[in-house]
Amino acid sequence: MRNIIHLQDVRKAYGRKVILDRVSLDVPEGMVIGLLGKNGAGKTTLLKCLLGLFKVDAGKSLVFGDDSWHLSAGVKASIGYVPQGYRPYPWLQAGWLIEYTASFYPQWNSALTAKLVKDWGLDLGARVDTFSEGELQKLLIILALGHEPKLLVFDEPVASLDPVARREFLKMILDVVSERPCTILFSTHITSDLERVADTVAVLRAGRLDLCGGIDVLKESVKRIRFHCPAGVLPVLGDEGVINSYVSGQQAILTVRDYSDARRVSLEKISGARVEVEDLNLEEIFLEMNR
Amino acid sequence: MDNNARLYFQISPASGVPIYRQIYDQVKIGIAMGKFVAGEFLPSIRDVSKSLEVNPMTVSKAYSSLEKSGIIEFVRGQGMRIPVKAEGAAPVDVHQERLTLLIKEVINSAQQLSLDEESVVQKLRAIWEDVHHA
Repeated sequence: MRNIIHLQDVRKAYGRKVILDRVSLDVPEGMVIGLLGKNGAGKTTLLKCLLGLFKVDAGKSLVFGDDSWHLSAGVKASIGYVPQGYRPYPWLQAGWLIEYTASFYPQWNSALTAKLVKDWGLDLGARVDTFSEGELQKLLIILALGHEPKLLVFDEPVASLDPVARREFLKMILDVVSERPCTILFSTHITSDLERVADTVAVLRAGRLDLCGGIDVLKESVKRIRFHCPAGVLPVLGDEGVINSYVSGQQAILTVRDYSDARRVSLEKISGARVEVEDLNLEEIFLEMNR
Repeated sequence: MDNNARLYFQISPASGVPIYRQIYDQVKIGIAMGKFVAGEFLPSIRDVSKSLEVNPMTVSKAYSSLEKSGIIEFVRGQGMRIPVKAEGAAPVDVHQERLTLLIKEVINSAQQLSLDEESVVQKLRAIWEDVHHA
């Protein structure tokens, strides 16, 4: 499978403040990948570097094989992007904004945009500046989908949506991926949305890509292990693959990134303790990584 | 039709158990419990994805692992089916597995409430007695 996005050792700094530090990421065709990170972790900067809206200081950033800073018209026509906090043409009626946007593209799926307008109950006669945050977000998503892009990039798409609209957004993503080959990259800090629709998650922490992998694999390999050792003091357990550890008397809690049943057995052997393994969901894994 | 798959599966995406694994376990247990009958077809990947609102790749992964384990079979042009000879699937084993899952849930909740093993076991005994004598 070819890579739609290829980042290699990307670096971006503002003055002395390093925003992205040697970020490498490959996104193959058809992947739905969620970019997870705290506020200020560098998510938006990463997306903007990728789309050629910011210039990287060092490293390589390719989209559909084109250098991000010199994207061809053809590649641009294959990308749909919904930025954060963008309010276009406040005086324009929503319907006109859709028409206007459509006129820039050689191909535009009016049936699709009409369906989404109807599904999401948008008033095409209303001026853009009368739209609520949520309505605006829906409108921007529709504008990004009209030309049926092969790559969709959303920056915090659900942050301003209520739970019902968030579900609708997720449904829309699932519709898109089940109907045609499409690669989707979105940033978020709402982990429960990722768990439903994304197959892969990349965790950005202080400008570095901390972790990237399949959500299933992540849930199966990152585990919290509890030791109960009534007989005495726990031996040193080593810190290989340990994300966090907490030891207190005869109890210990380890969070490991490479759990396996074999590891459990060997831990039981060397510690002589009773071992319990706890499953972690994405939010808990994210919190453990950020401790 | 769209909500059909909701009758088959109950998914909690925010669980620590991967979604594909939840579907896998529910099919396996469903067969043992008689929820799925031999020869029955599972809802299509598309239907499950749509009605449960999860990525179709996840459903596909669950189905193909089930197929690999011989729990379901692929019938060309028709989809995934519970094999007619599913009776041999050692129901006792699966009941044990079901029980283990339920007890794990209890243990998890107990730990959240900072209850220790002893008090959980005591409670279990007490309730067991109650149910028996009722």
